[in-house]
Amino acid sequence: MNVPREYPAPSPIPSGSQRGLGSQIVTDVQGWVVQIDGAQHSWIALLAGLAVWEMAGRALHYNFLPPFSTVLRAALDLIASGQILGYLAASLVSLAIGYALAVSSGVLLGLLMGRYRWVEYIFDPYVSAFLAAPKIVFVPILYALFGLGRGTQVAIVFLNAFFVIVINTMGGIRNVDVSYVEMARVFGASEGQLFRKVLLPGALPLTMAGLRLGIGRGVKGMITGEMFIALFGLGALLRKYGGRFDSARVFAILLVVIGVALICSLAVRTLENRFTAWTEDGA
Amino acid sequence: MIELRGCRKAFPGRDGQAPVVVLDGVDLTIRAQEFVCLLGPSGCGKTTLLKAIAGLVPLDEGEIRIDGRSVTGPGNDCAMVFQDFALLPWADVLSNVAFGLELRGVPRATREQRAQELLAAVGLGGFERHRPRQLSGGMQQRVGLARALAVDPKILLMDEPFGAVDAQTRRLLQEDLLALLDRTRKTVVFVTHSMAEALRLGDRVVLMTSRPGRVRDTIEVGLPRPRPPDIEKHPRFVELKDYLWQQLREMNA
Repeated sequence: MNVPREYPAPSPIPSGSQRGLGSQIVTDVQGWVVQIDGAQHSWIALLAGLAVWEMAGRALHYNFLPPFSTVLRAALDLIASGQILGYLAASLVSLAIGYALAVSSGVLLGLLMGRYRWVEYIFDPYVSAFLAAPKIVFVPILYALFGLGRGTQVAIVFLNAFFVIVINTMGGIRNVDVSYVEMARVFGASEGQLFRKVLLPGALPLTMAGLRLGIGRGVKGMITGEMFIALFGLGALLRKYGGRFDSARVFAILLVVIGVALICSLAVRTLENRFTAWTEDGA
Repeated sequence: MIELRGCRKAFPGRDGQAPVVVLDGVDLTIRAQEFVCLLGPSGCGKTTLLKAIAGLVPLDEGEIRIDGRSVTGPGNDCAMVFQDFALLPWADVLSNVAFGLELRGVPRATREQRAQELLAAVGLGGFERHRPRQLSGGMQQRVGLARALAVDPKILLMDEPFGAVDAQTRRLLQEDLLALLDRTRKTVVFVTHSMAEALRLGDRVVLMTSRPGRVRDTIEVGLPRPRPPDIEKHPRFVELKDYLWQQLREMNA
């Protein structure tokens, strides 16, 4: 059989002058996009979004879509008048306390439910029910119990964060490969050693995911709860300005809230990445 | 010395079906420093027996004695090597090898040194800080072997340890295992599906049926030690392999 020594010359790739200008621009942009860092992608997308917002806000004179610059001015105005900062500080403290309580008790219950079937059987109906139920319906009850301010805020954050943390931690424990547990037991691990050296490290990725979800839900729950009661906190401010159709201020407060939520989420995410570098998709 | 008398174990059937009798009256005596291969068709009996010796699985009936003492739970006598390696993915290779020692409270410096020695012995010197997933299957199993040897057990339980690697790696690991055991003699109970592997490694081959699990036959291998590289051409090897295949074929029919 004769294998040809020389192969026919490949057909020429069309040079720029032969292709349309449009496709050339697309190729150039694609090349540039691929080159820059992934994190920079996010920043650029964000700035682009703000630019679109600004232009759209100015062009379309909708009351509910003020341009970004107007919102920014309203935000500065609110901060200067001291309205936001006071409520923000109070909310952050409540968030911290409520979240800390949710994490410590949620992880504990999740561990126990994950490891011991009988614990799961006892608590699972309640956890599942509460997870599905909109926590906002409990807000009036909490308000009646804890009154105006700190107590209610902490309780709302706790309720919203707790159950998702339990479920994820439980899932994390369940997810630990049974062969690791068997191996550890063959080598003589006690129950405590099993927890510390196998179950906890193994459950960490899912548990941390639960913590991340928990903080997001905690913030959302707190704001919506405050809006519901409309007597204190940033949620109350949102209702007040919303009622007046002052969309610039509403957006301003919303940006502050979103900013807080994102920062918290980012903090948890950083921790999460640090502790789960060993998982396969962490590459 | 390991004695198994009348071992019986059944697992509950699914959804109201009849229980699966995995071990049905197994009697076996394993001499000290003997290399015994458990060979048989697919089914969980062999692995269950191994886990029973390790103290992981309680028997329904019968008992297992190690050096006269009844097995009631995991003990210091046994270490195990697993088919799926069971290396902790969040720890590095050195920590994995030192794991058994860590569980026994051996101080860090001591156990890390011992782990280092064993890694060198299995040919993985220099890989201490790697993560298991960075290693090939054969290398991971060497880590598993090193971990088992680190606790200096009297008995080595091996559950199809080379089943998950390719044929070439398998041969190399078999040779390395024999070389390691030449230096430190241990009692080995080795579960396998491969007749050639059983004959290459074992002093004795125990043929087991599956579902229910019983000892069908026991064969003294009687091939020279250390095994020459061309052991497969030895007339007794060929004869035994044929015999084993006859038996297995009948069992699988």
